[in-house]
Amino acid sequence: MNLVITPTMVGQVVISGLLAGSLYAMVALGLGLIFGVMRVLNVAHGPLLMLGAYTTFWLFHGFGLNPYLSLLASMPLLFVAGLLLQGLLVRRVVDAPELSSLLLTFGVSIAIVNLAHLGFSSDLRSVEYLTGSFLLGPFAFSKSRVVACLFALLITAGAFWFLQKTRLGKALRAVSQSREVAQVCGIDVQRIHMLAFGIASALAAAGGSLVAVMVAIQPEMGQVYTFKSFLVIVLGGAGNYPGALLGGLLLGLIEQLSSLFLTTQVNEAVAYVLLVLVLLVRPTGLLKGRAS
Amino acid sequence: MTKTSWKRAAPLALGAVLLLSLPAAAQTPIKIGASLSLSGTYAQPGTYQKEGYELCADHVNAKGGLLGRKIEFVLYDDQSNPATGVRLYEKLITEDRVDAVMGPYSSPITEAVANVSEKYQKVLVSPLAATTSIFKKGRKYIFMVISPAEVYLEGLIDMAAKRGLKTVAVVNEDTLFTKASATGVVELAKKRGMQVVFQEAYPKGNTDFSALLTKLKAANPDVIAASTYFDDAVAITRQMKELNVNAKMYGVTVGGDLPKFYELLKQNAEYVYGATQWEPTLPYPGQKEFVESYQKKFNREPVYHSAAGYAGCLIYAEGVRRAGALDSDKVREQLLKLEMRTFFGDYKVEPDGFQLAHKMVMFQWQDGKKVTVWPDDLAGGKARVPTPPWNQR
Repeated sequence: MNLVITPTMVGQVVISGLLAGSLYAMVALGLGLIFGVMRVLNVAHGPLLMLGAYTTFWLFHGFGLNPYLSLLASMPLLFVAGLLLQGLLVRRVVDAPELSSLLLTFGVSIAIVNLAHLGFSSDLRSVEYLTGSFLLGPFAFSKSRVVACLFALLITAGAFWFLQKTRLGKALRAVSQSREVAQVCGIDVQRIHMLAFGIASALAAAGGSLVAVMVAIQPEMGQVYTFKSFLVIVLGGAGNYPGALLGGLLLGLIEQLSSLFLTTQVNEAVAYVLLVLVLLVRPTGLLKGRAS
Repeated sequence: MTKTSWKRAAPLALGAVLLLSLPAAAQTPIKIGASLSLSGTYAQPGTYQKEGYELCADHVNAKGGLLGRKIEFVLYDDQSNPATGVRLYEKLITEDRVDAVMGPYSSPITEAVANVSEKYQKVLVSPLAATTSIFKKGRKYIFMVISPAEVYLEGLIDMAAKRGLKTVAVVNEDTLFTKASATGVVELAKKRGMQVVFQEAYPKGNTDFSALLTKLKAANPDVIAASTYFDDAVAITRQMKELNVNAKMYGVTVGGDLPKFYELLKQNAEYVYGATQWEPTLPYPGQKEFVESYQKKFNREPVYHSAAGYAGCLIYAEGVRRAGALDSDKVREQLLKLEMRTFFGDYKVEPDGFQLAHKMVMFQWQDGKKVTVWPDDLAGGKARVPTPPWNQR
């Protein structure tokens, strides 16, 4: 039963790792954005992703809408939900000690998950759309994951373009660098906070819509993405937005390679041990994040 | 006996005398207590089991009851929580003073409440506990109804061996039941001269099986035996297609039998083998009556959890009938001797209450339907072997 690990197998899991990683990067960018701008760790990020997945499911189930087209619905919908969350709740704890915001978003997270149980029931759902794979030599590229990866890269690139090139994006980065100076320069900080939360929620929703085609949908599916995103932004450097991309791809690879060389049972342990190591050795992340 | 219990026993004895002298009072129903998982993670199967119990009570009562008395269930919700189950069985026995108890849903909760029923020397017929170890701890009053975890995939191995398949890969979730069932598969395969070329466990809640399946694919097994619950069975099947993992036979333990499995996977569930304790189509006596009256009363199809609940209740009732009394030791003696065939299959236990006679069946998803393909004497159709590669379907 001694399995020899061949280069082909390594190649296959590297492919799987990068495909998964690009999705982690996109979702984590949202979490990183909120953290960068407000120093708030949004524990409800994963549950927002779950809502995105349900949006895609209901549109697919009810109207037969192409799940990738449903991005056009889930992202704006969750964008608005994000604005409301920020405007009604999170706004109140931005300047409070970090524990308050953690508690608040934790509460929001539990509330969303339980409302989903009530509203959608805990039955598993699936969007059976793009199954199977493209075969290229000895390698299999899962169709749904390849498409998800492309969309994720596209959306991530869009987000970067927005942050780098547009006035609003620049204002957002300015707030994340120094809120006081930004305010002095005439930037409406409250509005930027809302915008950041909205964009972050839309990114989570995009993640949800793409994941919906790959895995079974249920109310508890989101939380794990909160933790993965947290890992990603720590790896990449909190507040360093390109760092999220690196961190995401890295997490995908680590998970897959540790499953390959060790066992599936330990892959999460490996990822979190790495998290502790990074925090110990290089607390600012691999690409230097801005120390708080 | 202590002084206090004498005080308690005296009015009881008096009551018993009064009961015997008053024919009308003899009509008080026999109260049977149980806790079931009506909320929480096991709510679905738990509710089916409850319906099984209730239907059984109806039918026993319609046939004149037990020892001339009607039976009546006293049921509580243990919220899928073993500790709550323990508390409820204490309450049932000491406060509600039920005449008898029946098992709860699932191995973990049965394991916990069996300590209570043993303490009070109550017979516990446990219709839905499949883990062998529960019955191997020297407990005296517990009885098993369904087949143990270890033989869930016996049919898959048997069919494969008969067709000359040589190698098998085993994957399982690393929890109590799935581990036991994986260990069982490995032993059965070795016994039949098959080689286990790959084995790996994964944590509960795992959703990404890429690396595991990549390794499995490299081992190139003829048969894949997956010891699963439901979510993982769905994810593994999907990702097998994504990674183009092909085997001549692929079977899962739990999850494959739910209609939801096919609903979620659609045609990708075709050719998948699944294990089940019971199917409504099996040619056992009384099958039609059970299925029809169940549908009539509850407005839905029974699943094996309903059937096991009903069968467990029938088995207990038969034990009481033969003992002619509710006394635990007398009923126990009868249940140990009992050999019985119901619509659920056969019942016969070892001296420790471990089930020997009940048979698992294997089905295969064929054209959107579960077709029983093993064992041969119960089969409703032929297995479609080998499973064609994903790109030729």
